Amino acid sequence: MANFLAQFQTIKNSCDHLVIAVEDVSDLWPIVKDWFEERLPFKRASLNNKTRNPVFVEKLAAEFILTTDSRLRSRFPQEQLLFWFREPYATVVLVTCEDLDEFRTILKPRLKLIVQNDEREWFIVFVSKAQPNNENATKSAKKVYARLEVEFSSKKRERCCKLDIHCPEANFWEDLESKIMESIRNTLDRRVQFYEDEIRKLSEQRFMPVWNFCNFFILKESLAFMFEMAHLFEDALREYDELELCYLETVNMIGKQRDFGGVDRGDDQAVLLNPGNKPLTQIVQDDSFREFEFRQYLFACQSKLLFKLNRAFEVASRGYSFIISFSKALALHENILPFCMREVWVITACLDVVNATASHYVDGLVAPDIEKEFYRLQGDLYSLCRVKFMRLAYLIGYGTEIERSPVNSASLSMLPWPKPAIWPSVPPDALSEVFSKEKMILQETRRVKHFGIQRKPLPLEPSLLLREANRRRASLSAGNMFEMFEGRPVFNEGSGSEASTKMSPSQKVRSGVMSRTNSSPGNFESAIDRPMRLAEIYIAAEHALQHTISNPSLWKSLSALEEFEQKYLELTKGAADNYHRSWWKRHGVVLDGEIAAVCFKHRNIDLAAKSYEKVCALYAGEGWQDLLAEVLPNLAECQKILNDEAGYLSSCVRLLSLDKGLFSSKERQAFQLEVVNLAHSEMKNPVPLDVSSLITFSGNPGPPLELCDGDPGTLSVTVWSGFPDDITLDSLSLTLMATSNGDEGVKALRSTSATVLEPGRNNITLDLPPQKPGSYVLGVLTGQIGHLRFRSHSFSKGAPVDGDDFMIYEKPTRPILKVFKPRALVDLAAAISSALLINEPQWVGIIVRPMDYSLKDAVLQIDTGPGLAIEKSHVIEMESYADVSQSAADVGKSDAAHKNGSLAIDKHFEQLRLNDGRIVFPGWANNVTSVLWIPIRAISDRLARGSSSVSPQRQSIVDGMRTIALKLEFGVSHNQIFERTLAVHFTDPFHVNTRIADKCNDGTLLLQVILQSEVKATLTIYDAWLDLQDGFAHTRKGDGRPNPGFIPLVISPNSRAGILFSICFEMSNAEEEAKAPQPDSILNIRYGISGDRTIGAHPPAVESPGPEVVRQDLIFRSALVLKRPVLDPCLAVGFLPLRSGGLRVGQLVNMKWRVERLKDFEENEVLKDDDEVLYEVNANSDNWMIAGRKRGHASLSMKQGSRIVITILCVPLVAGYVRPPQLGLPDVDEANISCNPAGPHLVCVLPPALSSSFCIPA
Amino acid sequence: MIVCVAVVGHQNNPLYIQSFTEADDALKLHHIVHCSLDVVDERVNNPKKYGPTLNEPFLGLLYPTENYKVYGYLTNTKVKFIVVTTGLDVRDADVRNFFRRFHAAYVDAVSNPFHVPGKKITSRTFAERVSTIVKSFGLSSAG
Repeated sequence: MANFLAQFQTIKNSCDHLVIAVEDVSDLWPIVKDWFEERLPFKRASLNNKTRNPVFVEKLAAEFILTTDSRLRSRFPQEQLLFWFREPYATVVLVTCEDLDEFRTILKPRLKLIVQNDEREWFIVFVSKAQPNNENATKSAKKVYARLEVEFSSKKRERCCKLDIHCPEANFWEDLESKIMESIRNTLDRRVQFYEDEIRKLSEQRFMPVWNFCNFFILKESLAFMFEMAHLFEDALREYDELELCYLETVNMIGKQRDFGGVDRGDDQAVLLNPGNKPLTQIVQDDSFREFEFRQYLFACQSKLLFKLNRAFEVASRGYSFIISFSKALALHENILPFCMREVWVITACLDVVNATASHYVDGLVAPDIEKEFYRLQGDLYSLCRVKFMRLAYLIGYGTEIERSPVNSASLSMLPWPKPAIWPSVPPDALSEVFSKEKMILQETRRVKHFGIQRKPLPLEPSLLLREANRRRASLSAGNMFEMFEGRPVFNEGSGSEASTKMSPSQKVRSGVMSRTNSSPGNFESAIDRPMRLAEIYIAAEHALQHTISNPSLWKSLSALEEFEQKYLELTKGAADNYHRSWWKRHGVVLDGEIAAVCFKHRNIDLAAKSYEKVCALYAGEGWQDLLAEVLPNLAECQKILNDEAGYLSSCVRLLSLDKGLFSSKERQAFQLEVVNLAHSEMKNPVPLDVSSLITFSGNPGPPLELCDGDPGTLSVTVWSGFPDDITLDSLSLTLMATSNGDEGVKALRSTSATVLEPGRNNITLDLPPQKPGSYVLGVLTGQIGHLRFRSHSFSKGAPVDGDDFMIYEKPTRPILKVFKPRALVDLAAAISSALLINEPQWVGIIVRPMDYSLKDAVLQIDTGPGLAIEKSHVIEMESYADVSQSAADVGKSDAAHKNGSLAIDKHFEQLRLNDGRIVFPGWANNVTSVLWIPIRAISDRLARGSSSVSPQRQSIVDGMRTIALKLEFGVSHNQIFERTLAVHFTDPFHVNTRIADKCNDGTLLLQVILQSEVKATLTIYDAWLDLQDGFAHTRKGDGRPNPGFIPLVISPNSRAGILFSICFEMSNAEEEAKAPQPDSILNIRYGISGDRTIGAHPPAVESPGPEVVRQDLIFRSALVLKRPVLDPCLAVGFLPLRSGGLRVGQLVNMKWRVERLKDFEENEVLKDDDEVLYEVNANSDNWMIAGRKRGHASLSMKQGSRIVITILCVPLVAGYVRPPQLGLPDVDEANISCNPAGPHLVCVLPPALSSSFCIPA
Repeated sequence: MIVCVAVVGHQNNPLYIQSFTEADDALKLHHIVHCSLDVVDERVNNPKKYGPTLNEPFLGLLYPTENYKVYGYLTNTKVKFIVVTTGLDVRDADVRNFFRRFHAAYVDAVSNPFHVPGKKITSRTFAERVSTIVKSFGLSSAG
């Protein structure tokens, strides 16, 4: 069957659509042909796929072929079976007949003959030529057609349809199409079944020795081809997939050594998309096919179908894996393939797939993620191609032009060298090329990186090419190899060109000598035994490659450096662009960096800088510092060339802020030097520079600086410098940000003097002007280096900023400064609340209590109010103050300490002088509560007045009140002011209260003087005497002093004492009246006071009291008012009780009053000569009728105690509560009458008793 | 076999990267690890496409290139482990096993109270442990 392969190929190539046979019985085809062919291709067809599921296919191509056509006629039955797919899928029988007899006799037998072949799917089209107006013809045609239907159609299947030429029915063509489709479907199903059966049969024999892959292939591909013709591409694809699987299984079967293929001219070019590249007959190998061609053929068939299915993505995806796996297969057979065949094949394959898929790919047709994936694959293909291309370029000596970047190194240094059976050797006529190449190698200078950065270049080769090439030469044994490399200490793996340039001098000389000796052609033959030099390797590779590469454009790309670069750029760009459109942004950006390198080489600096920037941003964004350190110098160099000062400076700063291990200190110093030089040069526009990564700052550890509102301060900040050397900052300023309110809280602190930052930690102090209350964090550090304004946002946590987060600005959260809301910083209070002695020099204590605030250098201004004066002659005392508001235990302790006389070690005492009303506080009082004792005297010229029952007025507390205005200036620059006015209460020592304790019969009055102590101090009375006013005199003609036995009298604080004076009324005599009248009595008390100034009143302040305390007797004077009594009743009038029965209207009643003489009337001149009293009864005449005398005299003895009763008869006139009659004594002064008991105000008068005469019948 | 192992933080920042090649070419491995993050990102962003990877930290082969293989592993805290191998006959089970041990070592390293999360791992013990794990890679399957 394998013999049919060629035929199969031709058949396949000649037909690519379904065939519909036309059996033209009645020579109708020429008439209807155009109409029929108009229907092609079928717009929509329903077919069954391999799994017998209906599938709709569109634009199904087909061809109508007459059965008489040579294409259908000249076939052998065996061929028909094998290439069944090309046989007609339907047979249309075209008939016409107008006569029933003719039909019966001629047409019917003929038709029966035609349709007896069951293999064929047929149906009959009856063409009626009858004119529509020719009724007879129409009729007979109808009859014949009816007959036809009866004969050939069955219930199961309609096999006839009628075409009216002159007026075709509307649905005829649809009917026809559906019939054709039905036939095609049935045929297809049957043939699929047939092929499947055949394939199954063959598959079962797969492991038998007779098995022939070619037969299997023909069957399988026939099926696939049939599906393809029927537009069932999915099924066709599946067949090819199965075929590929089967092939891979069988081809790798052990024991069958087959040719791989790929040694023909032109095989280096991949044919992944052209199945017809090589006729299959050429690649047949025994019972199978050569792997090299056949796998490509299969892939090409698959990709063709995939493109038909609009699945360019899948082509790319399958293509990439195919290339990878096929490349491995090539590697296995590399020793039989031409030199570098594998690389060349991969390059062409990748480019083929990329171009084909890109041209077939329609944007927006697939889901977005598929689209991304598609571009990723394109990128991968480009990338793979690029790598292989670079490898070829390296082999022919363009290695020096390839950037030794991580991406190139990663892809090339892990890619093994080609492994030809024998490394190509230099062709004899290439000597001049070798020389020029050698010259090129010698002239080659490595580009020195900017800043003089010295890096060991990354390898582009898996191992040294020199060694690899020589090792692979047949004549060189391994032993020779070692000899060859002896005495080369610099030689090491992975730096081929490096080794060639860094050869030891002796080696260089030797190579020079060798080239000279080799210059003679005769010697050249022996070069095989001699290790090849690098230039020779390059030239040899070049020639070998030229031999391998059949594609002229590819060879052109490798023929010259410029061409190579162009191709390299094209591939790199292709990869980068596609990666950018996929998920793999990093791949894209990295390749951008490679493009940048080429741009840079061609002085297209602008583009290079842009690309480098992208790469740097990528690496910096994710903190890949090692990689960044590789690219950033390149960017810096571009920026420098472009004169982009800002960019260049920022690149330098970024270089400086990279991990210290990435650059040597010399390099880092070079970076700094660049920054400093540029900063001090004439910059056109001073540029701002962000040095956040380099200079970081933080507050000092520990709690924040706390300031009170309005206070200036000094802020200490730690600044970390990442510069390798000292750097001078011409100015420095730091902003503070309020955490609560961001709008107004930004304040800058400046330090205008130059600051030198050492590498590492620096402490910087800044003056802090008064700030608003709130809490502040550090904001931005700005400053100037030369003309350069820099700023740093970076806040470090007390350590140098870590390498890997230099792009992360950490917000300082810890406040560095707290300015408190205005609060009381100090309190001035009076030390005592009890009263002091008035008119005496007294210590007034002022407690100065600093509240967590130092009173350093505080100044107190004292301004006394009216009625108060500072005793200027005295010093002011200041002492530390033990707070009395301590717990009881503490008080007890301090009491004990007090007793011991050693209160506390830090007990301070100091005497101060008042200057201009100001006192400067001593240093020890900065933080401790102290008390300031100021000698003052309250002045009052009023005499104290005692109170008595006669004049009970109390002294108002305001009288003794004095004020002291205090103003304390404190704080760092006396910016804090505290003002307070203190009220100090002054009082007399005693309050005097007097009363007459008793009146003796002899006229002696006992005057009790009650002394109420007003002060919290013990008073001792040494003497007391009364200066009496007129009208009073001391009894017994004494001097008015109390019994000296009671003196001295001690009065405890707030207690009372009494002194009795006996006095009497003084008879007025003329002499005394002549004297100046003394209105008040004066009480004089000589007393002493023993009190503590910390408690209250105390002995008057004296200047430097001596050791022997002289008793200071003080005099207290108080005015007393003595008055003679005003009331002196001598008669008493009493209303005697009424009888118990009550009063009734009209009933007589006796009102009785008793008049009693209370004392003798001796002194009363008015009544002296009369022992009678005049009385008068007053009553309201409306209420009372009085019988008898209303007015008259009654005799009353002059003697004390004599009494009379006056009775008056009265009749009440009205009922109710009425005022009773009153008895008055008109002659006697009312003041001298005592009504005791007093008469009733009202009496109750009942209505008159009932009388019958008053009764009135109803 | 293993030429490089790396720990990459959840912000794709390198936390630990160690190459095991003799040549001084760590930078290219940095590049490989960095670029492999593209694949990790892609897998994380398209969970549907790559099947239910819930609770499965092993990401499998990230890169099928001709010459080396990159495997990934993603922890719950979005820390990635990347390993680059050159051997072509690497078994998934071996890599899985390697990652499990590597993960354990990592967890121990970052559990150190002096380690700042998100910062580079500088622990020498970790480095030693990692190199032990790397050395023993594949031995179990071979032996």
